[in-house]
Amino acid sequence: MHGEYKTPGGKLVVVDFDQAEGKLTGVRVSGDFFLYPDEAHADLAKALNGLSVELSEGEIANTVRLGLRRDAELLGTSPEAIAAAIRRGLAAADRRPGQADGAPSSRIEL
Amino acid sequence: MSAGTGRPLGAEVAGVAEAVAAVAAPVATDAYDRSGWAARWRAHDWRLIPGEPTAPLLNMALDEVLTLRVGRGERPPTLRVWGWDRRSVVLGRFQSVRNEVDMAAAAREGVQVVRRISGGGAMFIEPEGAITWSIFAPEAIVEGMSFPESYAFFDSWVVDALRELGVDAWYAPLNDITSAGGKVGGAAQARRGGAVLHHTTMAYQMNVPLMLSVLRIGQEKLSDKGVTSAEKRVGPLRQQTELPRDTIIGHLTDHFRASYGLTDDAVTPDEVAEAERLVRDRFGTDEWLYFLP
Repeated sequence: MHGEYKTPGGKLVVVDFDQAEGKLTGVRVSGDFFLYPDEAHADLAKALNGLSVELSEGEIANTVRLGLRRDAELLGTSPEAIAAAIRRGLAAADRRPGQADGAPSSRIEL
Repeated sequence: MSAGTGRPLGAEVAGVAEAVAAVAAPVATDAYDRSGWAARWRAHDWRLIPGEPTAPLLNMALDEVLTLRVGRGERPPTLRVWGWDRRSVVLGRFQSVRNEVDMAAAAREGVQVVRRISGGGAMFIEPEGAITWSIFAPEAIVEGMSFPESYAFFDSWVVDALRELGVDAWYAPLNDITSAGGKVGGAAQARRGGAVLHHTTMAYQMNVPLMLSVLRIGQEKLSDKGVTSAEKRVGPLRQQTELPRDTIIGHLTDHFRASYGLTDDAVTPDEVAEAERLVRDRFGTDEWLYFLP
């Protein structure tokens, strides 16, 4: 699955992922944003892998925010933008049921 | 876009991909109090490394080597002008290869794809089409500044130098140099080992069709832009100044020298050897390029 979100006046964030048993797996966050230090990039995938696909955008954003190390600086994008990209990726997968990797058809929006 | 310009067929042209991907918001640069900035620059004894044609991978590695050496106090703070020996796409630290580049098209057009150590967006480079430089400084030079302020600080002298060339330029946060004639360039920073690397690429002249054949510029990236034609947003310096590329580079370094002092220097054989090792061990590996496939 693939979702993108461009922060108005800011940068693009792209999230590629799979889902298995209702959870996000193999999450990769990419884009033309800035993130300091470099190592904080691994915090994003760590925070997102295993999250329930039924979480709301706000819950995903808060999880990302808490998962980032304390001294991390994310510029041009945001936990909210990452969450929006994931929601879009999930929504697009729902619209293409043949390619949805077993996404439940009756997923509940929280 | 070459029709009628009198350029020889096949003339080297280049552009800044970010220039296409980002339109400069008309934000005043003087959101920051610049009164202490000159003193911060003048507190250092600056060296100049002039640009020579250099392989893209070696350019990536030199930025890392020189940053660490300035951080360790083994090299004075330095301004390095980049040279290129071939066409290249330089990806930002966190960009996905597949999302940004058509690798088959890049191979067909002789464009080498590399990944740099700083974040930000992809640059499409042709040797005579871009003007790129790096500043290596101890992190203390931006002490007390926010990240956004430090971006404006490191490019402030360039904005002043461009104005002297008649370009109505200003800084557009976070990381753009823009002008009344369109976006001019974009910057990126990396910080490591107690040093800041701030590098900036400006468009001198652009081959938009070639750039668009190699880079993928999706609709989402353009979603907050009011214009659909990429070309309209960029103001390459050749078009804006009608000056040769070397003249512009000479003016930039002259301006820096007059403002803050600048001593001629070169990369040492030892620095080159260390950078070549880094190309072999890291920057030239698939693990690095495909860090985000």
